[in-house]
Amino acid sequence: MDHATPAARIFLVLVAAIVIIFVLRAQNGKIFFIRRIPGLTAIDEAVGRAAEMGRPLLASIGLGGLNATTGVITLQALAIVSFIAETASKFGNRILLPMVDPSLIPIAEESLREAYAKGGRPEAFHDEDIIFLSDQQFAYAAGVAGMINREKVASVFLFGTFYAESLIIAENGNRIGAIQVAGTPSTTQIPFFIAACDYVIIGDEYYAATAYLTRQPTLVGAIVGQDIVKGLVLTLILLGAILSSAGVPMVHNFFADKAVPLADFLHSIPAAARKGG
Amino acid sequence: MFTPQHDGMLLVLILVTMIVTGILLFLLSFLPVKFRKPLIAAITFLAGLYYVLEFFLPVDAAKSNALTPYRTGFAQINQVLLALATGVGIFSLFSAHGRAIVRRRSGWGFSVTLLVAFFAIMISGFIHNYFPGPVADGIYRLCFNGALKNLQAAMFSIVSFYIVSAAYRAFRVRSVEATILLASAFIVMIGQVSLGQAITAGLPTTGLAASFRLETIADWILTRINSPALLAVELGLGVGLLSTAIRLWLSLERGSYFDREV
Repeated sequence: MDHATPAARIFLVLVAAIVIIFVLRAQNGKIFFIRRIPGLTAIDEAVGRAAEMGRPLLASIGLGGLNATTGVITLQALAIVSFIAETASKFGNRILLPMVDPSLIPIAEESLREAYAKGGRPEAFHDEDIIFLSDQQFAYAAGVAGMINREKVASVFLFGTFYAESLIIAENGNRIGAIQVAGTPSTTQIPFFIAACDYVIIGDEYYAATAYLTRQPTLVGAIVGQDIVKGLVLTLILLGAILSSAGVPMVHNFFADKAVPLADFLHSIPAAARKGG
Repeated sequence: MFTPQHDGMLLVLILVTMIVTGILLFLLSFLPVKFRKPLIAAITFLAGLYYVLEFFLPVDAAKSNALTPYRTGFAQINQVLLALATGVGIFSLFSAHGRAIVRRRSGWGFSVTLLVAFFAIMISGFIHNYFPGPVADGIYRLCFNGALKNLQAAMFSIVSFYIVSAAYRAFRVRSVEATILLASAFIVMIGQVSLGQAITAGLPTTGLAASFRLETIADWILTRINSPALLAVELGLGVGLLSTAIRLWLSLERGSYFDREV
């Protein structure tokens, strides 16, 4: 694992500060606006269709686990699926959740049980609907494809980390005519989802999903903070490009961790601290 | 951080850990509901704090700081927790398929096949490791190389057929966007193969005319249009990931997990 460069230290602290400030502002009653995201609005439509057809829904949180690489993505997927389960429970729908990582089963069970309770139908939750299939990619894909075809699910929700199995799952859903909503940070799989699914959540919309669906002030505040950070990054990119073009690559060098006065100064702090220590 | 133990000592340590963990979990079950969420938040914060400090603290010439030596130990704790969870997965698998067999649900034969395959692979793996011999090795090779690997390869090969059907739907000319997609995809695909490159092989390789060679246009689409768009998506994802990680670390993600129960 790498360690933070001086630029990373400053930038990450700044990002954290911006996000926390906006979270606190939202918690203190400030109302923020989030634009409409069609893919997330379609969740209600997909759940409603399943209720009309009297068929279950199927959700997959992908191949990610609780590790450093995919942990946040998977927990976000689980949060989205919890919201879907809450909506589904209001109609008395079953939601099937095939799993790859067994360590996520207790968390998924607890989240969905809570979601069904929030939806006012705790008795509609069944433990057996959350099933561990396999921790092998294609065995999992085969299992999910089988469930889609056997249960003739009305809607399929695919959120999380996906690899080559994405198309196997999405094409099977498409084949049986299920409404499919997908969202993944795995950029290489987005084209497959666009080709096979009805609605796709692209890019950082994935991380905005819980805020959009629940409208909780804390989450909405974090999303606004996130957008401010994006604006800051874009400004730095523009400024860096202009300055580099003018022969003054200060912004570029700072983030590339090359010797410039500010970076020198920041480098000298830990060295001085070590000498002092 | 920890010295690896073997033989009897390892068994004793495992037993002690299990007993201590059991007592801890038993005591935690008596914790009043209102204290559970703060406890979970505190443990989450402390666990994350280690990695944050280890990342941020200045490092010496060997790229190490005061917390770096403990990194392997923390990673091992994580591995142990994940290994324990495998039992949960096996229980879930047996419970779901056992029920299907007992209740003679539709397709219960598949559940029987799954459980038979499960035990066949598990037992052959154990025999292969602990009592190696020609028969055990043969069964092991049959299960893993003969069956499992080929079945996985078969599933992977299915992707190529699905790509064709998905591409057909995506490239159908229904709108301006689909037409642009089709044209770009056609140029990129044909520009990558020698047959496509042969079409414009008569054009010079330097100067303005070289820009109209199919491989140049394909490369331009990939590096000047596709890559920046992908980088922009990844920039948004990176910032979103960071923001979500902060929310989770500081337990600000209320309502998604355990809001009412704990």
